[in-house]
Amino acid sequence: MENIIADYKKENTHVDIQLIEVAYNDLATKLKTMISGGKPPALARISTSEIGSFSNFAVDLGEQLGGVDSFTTQFIDSIKPYYVIDNKVVASPMDVTANGIMYNKTLFDQAGVTVPTSSDDIWTWDEFNASLKEVMDKSDAKYGLVWDFTPHRWSTLLYQFGGSMINPEGTEGTINNEAGIESVNYFKKMHDDGIIPTSVWLGGENPNNLFRTGTVAAHLSGNWMVSSYKDITDFEWGVTYMPIAKNRSSVPGGKFVMAFQKSGVEEEAAKFIAYLSSKETNSKFNQESLFMSPRKDSADLDYAFGKEMFALFADELNNTIPAAAEDWSKQTIIPKFSSDLKDGLVEVIAGGSSAEDMLNDINDQINKAIADANDN
Amino acid sequence: MTPSKSQKILTYVLLITFSALWLFPVLWIFLSSFKSNSELYQFPPTFLPQQFTIEHFVNAFEKGNFGKYFLNSAIVAITSTVLLLLINSMAGYALAKYKFKGGTFILLAFISTLMIPLEVIMIPIFKVLSFLGLYNSLLALIIPPAATPTGVFMLRQYLLTIPNELIEAARIDGAGEWKIYWRIILPLCQPILAALAIFSFMWRWDDFLWPLIAISDPSKYTVQLALSNFIGEFNVDWGSLLAMSVITMIPVLIVFLIFQKHLVNSMATSGMK
Amino acid sequence: MTTKPIAVLQPNPSTKKKRKLQIAPYLFVLPNLLIFTIFIVIPTLLGVIYSFHNYDGLNPMKYIGFENYAHIFTDDKFWSTLGKTLTYAMIVVPLIYVCALGVAILLVQQVIMKGFFRAIFYWPTMISFIIVGLTWRWIFGELGIINALLVAFDNEQITFLANPFFAKVAVIIAAVWSRLGFFMVLFVAGLLAIPKDFYEAAHLDGASKVKAFFHITLPLLKPTTLLVVMLSMIEAFKAYPLMFALTGGGPNKATTYIVQYIYETGFAKQELGLASAMSVVLFIIITIFTVLQFKLTKGGEN
Repeated sequence: MENIIADYKKENTHVDIQLIEVAYNDLATKLKTMISGGKPPALARISTSEIGSFSNFAVDLGEQLGGVDSFTTQFIDSIKPYYVIDNKVVASPMDVTANGIMYNKTLFDQAGVTVPTSSDDIWTWDEFNASLKEVMDKSDAKYGLVWDFTPHRWSTLLYQFGGSMINPEGTEGTINNEAGIESVNYFKKMHDDGIIPTSVWLGGENPNNLFRTGTVAAHLSGNWMVSSYKDITDFEWGVTYMPIAKNRSSVPGGKFVMAFQKSGVEEEAAKFIAYLSSKETNSKFNQESLFMSPRKDSADLDYAFGKEMFALFADELNNTIPAAAEDWSKQTIIPKFSSDLKDGLVEVIAGGSSAEDMLNDINDQINKAIADANDN
Repeated sequence: MTPSKSQKILTYVLLITFSALWLFPVLWIFLSSFKSNSELYQFPPTFLPQQFTIEHFVNAFEKGNFGKYFLNSAIVAITSTVLLLLINSMAGYALAKYKFKGGTFILLAFISTLMIPLEVIMIPIFKVLSFLGLYNSLLALIIPPAATPTGVFMLRQYLLTIPNELIEAARIDGAGEWKIYWRIILPLCQPILAALAIFSFMWRWDDFLWPLIAISDPSKYTVQLALSNFIGEFNVDWGSLLAMSVITMIPVLIVFLIFQKHLVNSMATSGMK
Repeated sequence: MTTKPIAVLQPNPSTKKKRKLQIAPYLFVLPNLLIFTIFIVIPTLLGVIYSFHNYDGLNPMKYIGFENYAHIFTDDKFWSTLGKTLTYAMIVVPLIYVCALGVAILLVQQVIMKGFFRAIFYWPTMISFIIVGLTWRWIFGELGIINALLVAFDNEQITFLANPFFAKVAVIIAAVWSRLGFFMVLFVAGLLAIPKDFYEAAHLDGASKVKAFFHITLPLLKPTTLLVVMLSMIEAFKAYPLMFALTGGGPNKATTYIVQYIYETGFAKQELGLASAMSVVLFIIITIFTVLQFKLTKGGEN
């Protein structure tokens, strides 16, 4: 990012840009105090979970970026609901993320288990579980699968089972339908069978650290882990296809840049965003950072590491059902229930509640949040 | 009163056992900061580094202008501590040795406000800071936290143990109120002021929330703000975090070692019976 | 002064009678009071205003009267979390008190390398909670040394932190480990304020060390005791960053205490108004506790 800013300053000598790095966990808090306190920054790089709450304070970039339609068609369609709100471009995509599975190649080889090599011979969840079981039995693996402790990552399973959280019209919750219940029960079963260790969802153990020990067969996470795992030297690892249930699906996400109103430099900020979103700058940024570009014309970047892995994540993204992005882009509704959903999933795994009761409860919260949002 | 030999032995046995228990995790932190990434995540875990490496220290220092951050943190911690010692001891003295309307009420109200999570009132704090022009100023990290109720409470409780006769005697000699505070009370408070200096330096050095609210300009970053950047959205750079934690502990430890020497019996030399 | 040394410290009523210099105490309190009022009291009062509104910290507030408070009184989770927090405090406060006092007594005696020993006990206080969490995870965690020892002796691994009971124990141990040093320093300062003459007098009277502890040390330590109990209680009620780093508040919310609950309401759920109301309720409860403690111990005065 520093390099891009330096380049931009060279071309635009009248502009000065100060880069403030804030830890991800503190970003929303920091932005809130700055905006509520009347000192908003010119722009910020934010993730999908912040766009919703900050969109009322965003500069509409549509005009600056050449009109809503001509701008949005440059980017992959599934992330459009995240940054286009009420036909306003409230932010511009910087990179796109996809959930997926990393696996320990060394362990799989040791057990003589193979992974699908193309999307034609993709495995089902039952086949995947059987493979993991075999790896656990025949290799040094202690655990089958670690799964990031977030409702977002869990929802991958929901979409694959054909479920969704909210109906497409956004009028009511759908999380407690049959597919939803089935996906929660399957998730619990994997814990009960010992495929997924309880230490992550119950014990708060960091799944990345577990995978790095080399004793875990697979990790369900996302493409961002590629740049983190690239320094692993103790074993070989790779990316493989996520299993299919009713559908194949990933969950798209990403990072965006938003310019804020009342910063005093709205126009300059919008110009800089246009620069960041251009094919040249965006490709350079994503290629160097090992991220995936949201631009349709930059899908095939020449990464220095893991080119084939990114191709696989891109394939997951291309096979994603629309509900995934539609649900997660409703960022005025999601925060009202996502932490309770996380707690609820834990309670089901711990045996404190049934999937059905838990999801009914969450669905009530979703409906209440939708009603509250319409009131305001 | 000389302790018997068996008492001496018991004291050392207890001390050494407990301090070993307390030291063990600290040693692990220290040793782990020299382990390679793959060793950090190894199972079974190692105690001594298998391959000694200083890569985490190098990486951490490359990530930012840590010299500048250390300087900022030092300025904040030192000046804020001096201010805190002065205003807390004044307030603590008044609350312990004068009977005046509202005194106890003020103290209890102050202490109870410690219970309000600072995060909840962060936005109003920011507004006050920017209204007073303290946004992006180190003064915002120095002045507000110096008025801590904990310090006032510590001073008050300590001064309760100091006999009033001393103050009375000085009053009879015609000493003014300020002179009594400055010449008699402050020297008597030496141990508690030393303790408070140790705490205050540590509080300011380790403070995260005030800098997060008040500082945006990277040239005014403190060490803790810079450290937090090792904690990413999906990933924590444990190696760098451990390495920098070890380095950032050193100044606090030095301050402790200097001031703990002043944790002595001030009464022993005051001529009190 | 051989028989009743404590009598020496009885406050002399004449020192507290009204003096013409009554403005002096107010002037002494003023700088501290002023700064505290501007930077903490005023923001807190603004926070109280939030508690009567529906507010997410960003978009315009909407006045809803006492709705947030009404919600709290029917919120079972709030009260059960508060109950859990109280239980935690009831365990951790006495533990810290006894351990810190014990260590402080050892460290005011004539021992070699006193500064070194004091530094060892103080050391953990300097370590940020995220590292404290990591450290105890290395001991109790899935990949920790206890499990490594269990495996080495051919036992089954135990996922301590996935078990509510062990997770609570782990949190308490880590809290005592990390906070003992702070309260030890307070006790050391308090113990040093007790004039040595008293002990010598008691010794001459033939009192045992144990007797001297209960009849001299503890009574004269009353102000420090009140200080330590009140500060450690507030700290226990606010406990959250440590749990966040060690157990994440789990398993299944077993180690989620009240401030984490308030924090999640205010930020994860973006209900800052409701979180403010919760803080106000907590503030009132704590104030009642403090005032009671203060009255019962007469402010720690003898």
